[in-house]
Amino acid sequence: MRHEKFLTVLAAGAMVLWAGLGTAHHSDAMFDRDTTLELSGTVKEFQFTNPHTWLQVMVPNEQGEEVEWSLEWGSPNQLGRQGIRPSTFPAGSKVVVRTNPMRDGTPGGAFIGAMLADGKTVGRWD
Amino acid sequence: MTKQIPRSVIPALCLALALPISTNAAEPTLPDWSGVWAMEGGTVFDQATKTGEGGTTTPGVREHPPYNAEYEARYQRNLALRDQGILPDPNSLCGIPTGFPRIFNLPDVYEFAVTPKQVWVIAENGPNVMRIYTDGRDHPPPEDRWPTHTGDSVGHWEGETLVFTTVSLHSSESGRTLVDRTGLILSEAAHATTRMRINAQGQMEVEMTIEDPLALTAPWVVVKRFNRLEPGTRAYDYACNENNRNPIDEETGWTYTIGPDGRIMDKLEGQ
Repeated sequence: MRHEKFLTVLAAGAMVLWAGLGTAHHSDAMFDRDTTLELSGTVKEFQFTNPHTWLQVMVPNEQGEEVEWSLEWGSPNQLGRQGIRPSTFPAGSKVVVRTNPMRDGTPGGAFIGAMLADGKTVGRWD
Repeated sequence: MTKQIPRSVIPALCLALALPISTNAAEPTLPDWSGVWAMEGGTVFDQATKTGEGGTTTPGVREHPPYNAEYEARYQRNLALRDQGILPDPNSLCGIPTGFPRIFNLPDVYEFAVTPKQVWVIAENGPNVMRIYTDGRDHPPPEDRWPTHTGDSVGHWEGETLVFTTVSLHSSESGRTLVDRTGLILSEAAHATTRMRINAQGQMEVEMTIEDPLALTAPWVVVKRFNRLEPGTRAYDYACNENNRNPIDEETGWTYTIGPDGRIMDKLEGQ
């Protein structure tokens, strides 16, 4: 179940925000590329691994329970050449992330961009 | 005790000491293909015949190889699966080489290692390696070869252009390889002649002329280009199985997503 109170649906037709997994090693059919969600939470872990990096973010639902979201991004190789590091998302840091969510409503999606507490943005944040 | 050198050999000795030794006067000057390179454009293999807007997984996007009717029908079946997001891509399995010609159609970066007797195409994605022998050998006789992902490649230098032929490739029919994620396929009869050179724009240009008497009605010429990245750029390991959270369901072709607890997250009906 998706808790709309805590999730802001930013835009339909969000193809322009698809930062994607255009170079993914797998199909992206599981993601709803027409929807962009914005989530506020706390970084649990940034898995800087191949074939994809994963940002694990704890996001409170409307009952106040922490739900772990899995946000998939590019390979560490691609991102590393663009200046992204394992330390880019320190565990415990507050973050707002934008994602094209899983079609089935499970807490995951394709990472688009993020804003950290100091205002620094990562990825696409148009 | 000293020995005198016979006067008759002195001129020859002087010449030998003064002149550089060349074991093969016809040995070509090898080009400088050093550095790290990245493919231009997306992973639609044949950009020249592409129709539709988008990338390989976008419904409506397809290419137009000179397929015969049978292979055109097979391609259309793959396109339909692609449109539903259930075209199984062997690349997604991790651990299976990409193979030729798709090795020239990968994201991430490339290195092209030129040595006097071999050229290696090293693709970070996968990772994948293709070996091209330039030491004068020929392909093994048909009875001594078997299909592999990158096949058997032998070639020679024409100036600074590497020309090589590739045979003994896996058929896409085996499910072990695709040419790209739209669902392009070739048969086990596919073979190719490839020309690699740095073009006038400084790009690595790879022109593949693919022939396949079982699938194509004419040679299929595809050109891929690669741009040299900034000096000092590094390539890295690509351990595809390090944290592959997207396994494929072999029955449905659906790509699952593994959650933080190690279990499949997807809850779509029918998946």
